[in-house]
Amino acid sequence: MEVLSLTVNGEDIEAEIHPGTTLQKFLHDTLGLTGTKEGCGEGLCGACTVMIDGKAVKSCIILALQAQGKNIRTIEGLANGEVLDAVQESFMENGAFQCGYCTPGMIMASKSFLDETQNPTETDIRHALSGNLCRCTGYHKIVKAVLAASNK
Amino acid sequence: MGDTKEYKYIGKSERNVNGIEKVTGAAKYCSDMEMARMLYGKVKRSHYPHARILSIDISKAKQLPGVKTVIVGDEKTCPNRFGAGVADEYVLAREKVLFVGDAVAAVAAETEEIAQKAVDLIEVEYEELPPVFDGDEAFSRNPPAVLHEGLKTYKTIRSVPPRYDENRPNVFNYFRIRRNDVEQGFKEADIVFENRFQVAMIHHSQMEPHCGIAKVDGSGRLTVWGTSSKPYGMHRDIAESRNLPSSAVRVIIPTHVGGSFGGREPKAEQIAASLALAQEGHPKRPVKVRFTREEQLTTTTTRARYIVDIKTGVKKDGAIVANEMRTILVGGAYAGTGYLTARNGSFGPAANYKISNFSLDAYGVYTNQRMAGAFRGFGNAETLWALESQIDMLAEALNIDRLAFRLMNCPVEGDINAFGESMHSVGAKECLEAAARDIEWGKKSEPKEPHLKIGKGIALGNKYSIVPTASAAIVKVHPDGLIELRTSTVELGQGSNTIFSQMIAEEFNVPVSMVRVLNPDTDLTPFDLGTASSRSTFNMGNAIRKACKDVKQQMFELAAKELGSAADELDTEDSRIFIKGSPEKSLHVSELFIPMVIGGYTLKEGAEILGKATFYLPGITPDPETGHSERPASFYMFVAQAAEVEVDTQTGKVRVLKMVTANDCGKAINPMMVEGQQDGGVLSMGIGSALLEEVITDNGVMLNPQFADYKIPTTLDCPDLDNYKTAIIETAHREGPWGAKGVGEGTMVSSAPAIANAIYDAIGIRFHEIPITPEKVLTALKEKNKERLD
Repeated sequence: MEVLSLTVNGEDIEAEIHPGTTLQKFLHDTLGLTGTKEGCGEGLCGACTVMIDGKAVKSCIILALQAQGKNIRTIEGLANGEVLDAVQESFMENGAFQCGYCTPGMIMASKSFLDETQNPTETDIRHALSGNLCRCTGYHKIVKAVLAASNK
Repeated sequence: MGDTKEYKYIGKSERNVNGIEKVTGAAKYCSDMEMARMLYGKVKRSHYPHARILSIDISKAKQLPGVKTVIVGDEKTCPNRFGAGVADEYVLAREKVLFVGDAVAAVAAETEEIAQKAVDLIEVEYEELPPVFDGDEAFSRNPPAVLHEGLKTYKTIRSVPPRYDENRPNVFNYFRIRRNDVEQGFKEADIVFENRFQVAMIHHSQMEPHCGIAKVDGSGRLTVWGTSSKPYGMHRDIAESRNLPSSAVRVIIPTHVGGSFGGREPKAEQIAASLALAQEGHPKRPVKVRFTREEQLTTTTTRARYIVDIKTGVKKDGAIVANEMRTILVGGAYAGTGYLTARNGSFGPAANYKISNFSLDAYGVYTNQRMAGAFRGFGNAETLWALESQIDMLAEALNIDRLAFRLMNCPVEGDINAFGESMHSVGAKECLEAAARDIEWGKKSEPKEPHLKIGKGIALGNKYSIVPTASAAIVKVHPDGLIELRTSTVELGQGSNTIFSQMIAEEFNVPVSMVRVLNPDTDLTPFDLGTASSRSTFNMGNAIRKACKDVKQQMFELAAKELGSAADELDTEDSRIFIKGSPEKSLHVSELFIPMVIGGYTLKEGAEILGKATFYLPGITPDPETGHSERPASFYMFVAQAAEVEVDTQTGKVRVLKMVTANDCGKAINPMMVEGQQDGGVLSMGIGSALLEEVITDNGVMLNPQFADYKIPTTLDCPDLDNYKTAIIETAHREGPWGAKGVGEGTMVSSAPAIANAIYDAIGIRFHEIPITPEKVLTALKEKNKERLD
């Protein structure tokens, strides 16, 4: 067992974990933050996307210990109390989800991209989200929503 | 045409009522659910495609610390077979395994890791048997393997029983249509084409892998949670396969399910139930069986391979005089939904065009691979792949424009289809015209470079919705005015909760936020056939309206006494009941209840303001010899799609530059959600099935069991926002709620042929099988060039 200390959504956490624990499993199973989902367990679908120090990562292929001392932001930490983040609001407005299983990862990847990109084109957005799989929407309304949020 | 009346909530793109949970991460899916002292289940699976089970040694597994329960397929665990139409499957295989991945044992342990270690310690001795994989071989009179020797002894469903073939031991269903005389028709034809078309096996790839949780409570009652789209079907399978009375089982489906697309057979749920029931001691702990992505892709049901032999005859003037088809759904080890898909895949060709002489033989066959059957389109995408490719070829041979040929032959209101049914609510022409307009049919685009070839293609399709069908709804008015809806429709992401809320909002003149939809729970929500066949808007919508009528009747009778009027003089808005014409004479719903001492509010009689209704539509069972029926389906959704593709003749890669879809859904209750269905059907599964997706197997083993190699479309595989257009064609149905029909199932039945027809236009090569991969394109181009040089 190893001691893990990190900050998750602004909260300081300390826990004893098995060193083989992935960051996704730590967030989902240990902390109960179930928004960060396992979709494939191999870093291929993006459902597990979170931000480490503001950068989007696939948490199912990162060991929790690799996030030692870092600032993690999950989907649960995006809204400001009752006020949705611009990306979340745009997803609601544009119907950019259906079953919603890929949605937390999709929003985190979008948010991280928009935070570091000014005036992205549609092509830029498609490239940024090419690692996030969705089966329900065909990405049409997702791309529309992210483009709309980029103008806010 | 469509209903042009303006409604307050119907026809509006209301926001998803469950949206906030989904965008904030609060939504709990089955795989997110945790309970105190939960155990985790893992499955031991066969690595042979066909074998006899000689022995199973679970002793080492049982001894592993942290293991609580180990079960095998036996009389205790699974006394009876179950299945959607033919009961051919045990929860855990008994005596024989029939595909690589067939479940033979299961373990429940403190953690998934311990459960998996225990599974690896289970020793199974097999005697290998020859397998059969090929569809033609499995179909033959003397196949290399017969999977179910006892097929004729299995129980079958009463309402749409399967039909076998005396001479073909692997056939699990047979259906036929005979209209007039195809032989005579071929004699009269000026051109006759005969071809074979096939589709590869593809997987639904729902983003949430399959999951089941089961718990036996202190009284011995079993509750099962899962990802199934048919809670009452699952309920029946769980109870009847174990000889449990139906009241001994409760099935709950959470509000949030990560997609279905026809692929949620409740295997994880069944195994969880067996592990929970086999647990020794008290109190019994809940068991979760969560499939990994690999397990999902390799062992759960898929869209079946299809082999379609089609012969079509046309006259010079463009009339289609004869169409003869033999379709084989190449199923898996268990028929599953494949038994019905094999039969109902015939509906598409039967309804697509005016064809005076029509003959179809539809089969479903067993092979030693995992279950294959229902997928969005239910056999119709597969059979229309064949028909719409052949139609394109015939148009060219007749020198008639491919769009014009389809417009000439597509049905209109009142036309008789191959079932002998007079079709009502037919938007085929309007769909074709809209798709042609949006793709700019007839206008040629210039390729950017000489090795890039550009072409356009169009295809017509249709999808029926099933009969017999039944949906029940219960509507309750709370004292504070909230209206609660109890139905067993599963919210899969399609937006059923939202459109049902809109329907109730419209009926009661309340905001959508005043409606609450419960999740399916067989203890609370009444029967529904299942969330499939695009049946929910129409059937559950009608049940909801009937239940609303029942509730309003009760409400108005209670209020009439208070307001001193007759019940039929009353109306309701914003939780107030008022006299029509004198709205100042009103009361709030809460005033119908009287406060009681100690606390709470009650009605004087009737217990609750609760309405209930069933919408039941039996249809007419097709004649077994001719398929004749005047109502073989509840309604048809027509669809036309067109694509513009760019074929890179150096790499073989096909890019969909532009794609459009026009869907006839009747009244669009929520246009944004109708678009959502169109988007997913075209951009994900349409493009995926046409160009990218294939379950590749070798000796029954899936070689590409992860998203790295099983390629579903990404953002980069789809046309840009400006190059994808949708049209909603609202051809009202006289029996639909506000004229609505459905949409989801029909959204990809034209996609593959539209793309393949565009590829033909680009490079002059006709592909008979999908997916049309770069390798296939390059090989075909090489052969074409060789032919030119020879």
